[in-house]
Amino acid sequence: MTAFILKRLGFAAITLFAVLTIVFFIVRVLPGDPALAILGDQASQAALEALRVRLGLDVPLYQQYVAFLGGVLVGDWGISMVSGRPVIEEIIKVLPATLELTIASLILGVVVGIPIGVWSAVRRNKLPDYLARIGSLLGLSFPAFVSAVLLLLFFSIQLRWFPVISSGQGGSLADRLRDLALPAINLGLIMAAYITRVTRSAMLEVLNQDYVRTAHAKGLVFAVIVWRHCLRNALIPVVTVVGLYLGILIGNSVLTEIVFNRPGLGKLIVGALNQRDYTMLQGMMVIYTLIVVLVNLVTDLTYGLIDPRIKYA
Amino acid sequence: MKARMGIALAGLLVAGNAFAAGTTLNVGMGSADAGKLDPHVATSTPDKGLLHWMFSGLVRIKPGEASPEFIEPDIAKSWTTSDDGLTWTFSLRDDVECHGDYGKIDAEDVVYSLKRSANPEVSAFAKDYTAFDSIEATGPLEVTIKLKNTVPSLLGLLVPYHGGNIVCKDAVEALGEEYQRTPIGTGPFMFAEYQPQQYVKLVANPEYYRGEPKIKEIYYRYIPSDSSRDLAFQAGEIDMIYGKQEQTWVERIQKVPGTKVTVMKPGEMSVIHLNMTMPPLDDVRVRRAVAHAINRDAMVQFKGPDVTLAALSPVPEGHLGFTADVPTYEYSIDKAKALLAEAGHPDGVTIKAIHTTLPGMLSTMEAVQALLREAGITLEIETVEHATFHEQIRKDMSQVTHYAAARFPVADVYLSQFFHSDATVGTETAIANFSHCAVADAEIAAARVETDPAKQLALWATAQQKIMDEVCAVPVVQSMQLWAWKDTLDLGVTVNGSLNLSPPVTEQAAFSE
Repeated sequence: MTAFILKRLGFAAITLFAVLTIVFFIVRVLPGDPALAILGDQASQAALEALRVRLGLDVPLYQQYVAFLGGVLVGDWGISMVSGRPVIEEIIKVLPATLELTIASLILGVVVGIPIGVWSAVRRNKLPDYLARIGSLLGLSFPAFVSAVLLLLFFSIQLRWFPVISSGQGGSLADRLRDLALPAINLGLIMAAYITRVTRSAMLEVLNQDYVRTAHAKGLVFAVIVWRHCLRNALIPVVTVVGLYLGILIGNSVLTEIVFNRPGLGKLIVGALNQRDYTMLQGMMVIYTLIVVLVNLVTDLTYGLIDPRIKYA
Repeated sequence: MKARMGIALAGLLVAGNAFAAGTTLNVGMGSADAGKLDPHVATSTPDKGLLHWMFSGLVRIKPGEASPEFIEPDIAKSWTTSDDGLTWTFSLRDDVECHGDYGKIDAEDVVYSLKRSANPEVSAFAKDYTAFDSIEATGPLEVTIKLKNTVPSLLGLLVPYHGGNIVCKDAVEALGEEYQRTPIGTGPFMFAEYQPQQYVKLVANPEYYRGEPKIKEIYYRYIPSDSSRDLAFQAGEIDMIYGKQEQTWVERIQKVPGTKVTVMKPGEMSVIHLNMTMPPLDDVRVRRAVAHAINRDAMVQFKGPDVTLAALSPVPEGHLGFTADVPTYEYSIDKAKALLAEAGHPDGVTIKAIHTTLPGMLSTMEAVQALLREAGITLEIETVEHATFHEQIRKDMSQVTHYAAARFPVADVYLSQFFHSDATVGTETAIANFSHCAVADAEIAAARVETDPAKQLALWATAQQKIMDEVCAVPVVQSMQLWAWKDTLDLGVTVNGSLNLSPPVTEQAAFSE
């Protein structure tokens, strides 16, 4: 197990290096001048040139690259070109809000999606199955920003249960839960839709296996067959989807962050892209890559917990 | 059990109401986050709007107005000028305190601040101050500015706008790089806190020289989603809201009970710049055909009659130096077609524009595209993301450039930045002359140093006439600034305009409930 983890971390380091190199050059190839984005359209050429020098954009690209890599190795991710604050500080300030939203959505997605998927498979081609399939299809096809606005209209404007503006950093636990509720429901229900479909499909496959028939023949209680024997075997593809979707969820949370006005990595990266904030984009890519690598590692390790027959080499 | 859960949920909801009222003003701004909070670098509407409430100038434009004709004393209590207009002496108030513990403002601070504004290393507005020969403290509370030549509105450069915002020397030196994140001014409100992507909190300045503000806290909330901002206003979570420049927004937000909607100057001028060096636009007949094909009345109807004005001249109406006495090109498809035929294009022409994807600007350009098509002018629009748009149009890559801008309301600013050859894109002194217009250089330069106001106005008028005669550009519409706030909020002034594009929240502002 330790050797497996070390090997995966080794691969992660190579992946990180490749991503950083690609991102470094891609953001500089993109049209758009950071100095102009920062100083605005009335700035003189002299002011723009002075800023380019201060930002270190006047030195050759390879020198910028070496300086950047050297900085990353010693934990210096640079200073945001736009705000002037350290990149790491900017990221750390909003990272908890993103993690909070992602984890809450994941929990909601799993808690809602797996039971419905199992129920749908067990009641195949009956009313509950049709309802679950239609519901999950709606969840998959509804754009997140549309469902977000609908949730706001109903729960914040009509019922006045939740605020329109989520601070993402309320003082008390009650404040935080209140801020988190609607964004988590918005993302969580989309995730639940994915999980429902994958669980249903995996369960249908398992329910037709010989050992399930044998368990029936032995007179085992149906609920025990389904929840203890079938679900455990059906969980591998579900965990794979959850792992894959988690990375996507973090990346796709931007629309939810914008509509609910929550802080988060999504808003940070969109702002950095618009402003051509090279250092911020690079720092964000480090974080995204680390998260994806970590999630994949955890996903792989979870397989072994679900199915003890899986060995790590 | 259910009842207990219901009570718990209700308690959770009630406990979470974090939005205080009475002396706390919540403002919703259409931006994802703060940018630069150093007033000598801040150029975006959200940043300027916030800094507006924190800084003072030597002089100021009366709150609620946007025109230099309303200039009145601010940090300077009085001033004198030499007969030749080249030497200006300002006498300062002795009771202006910097925010925090940075002491009183004196002449050294003002000199430091204005020199900083003129320094391209640290200021985005250095070019505005190139006519300054010297800035000296001629007494503890006296500042003398000497000019190399007269400028169209010296006092306009000293209002709390761009480089005219007075920074405190000790604060800038003590804070260093941190100053751009912790702005220290002398205005009615002081910087207190910044939460990334959420808000900047300001608190009342108890030492403000015009009296302590009645509003004690301002939360300047960054809410990029238009619909969320509107919903938050509707829900009462914010008291003042930055509007979308659309008629439908005004109509929608007016329906929210207890709302006051304000349409303010300066308008953002939409102008179609025609590159006079690129065929077929190098032929004035083709440019005139374009002008005849654009129906301004239709454009005003399209953008909304309550929020836009038709534009006649390259200088917006109401600005110092504007004249309506310019060659106008009435909407006429027949004339446009005849001019094209005369120029050797009986089957029409195709022209290309690189354009931003910003929805407000793009919808204007698409409407222009539809109008031009009627006259046989095919306008091909290549849309690119906003930062790319700004870079490419400055590399002289676009035949047609649609630009929308609000500037200091003096003709010289518009004429110098957009129509003087020094500002031609692709040159070392470039600013925003996208058309390569050079037909009025002499008049623009002469007006800049003319001391006789009547002669200056005449020179500006001639420049506008020449620009329109040659059709360097086609002015289309002015889109006004839109804000709304609760009618329980009394700003204490009538709001007709605001140079910094945000309503004046001063020591006089207060909630009536």
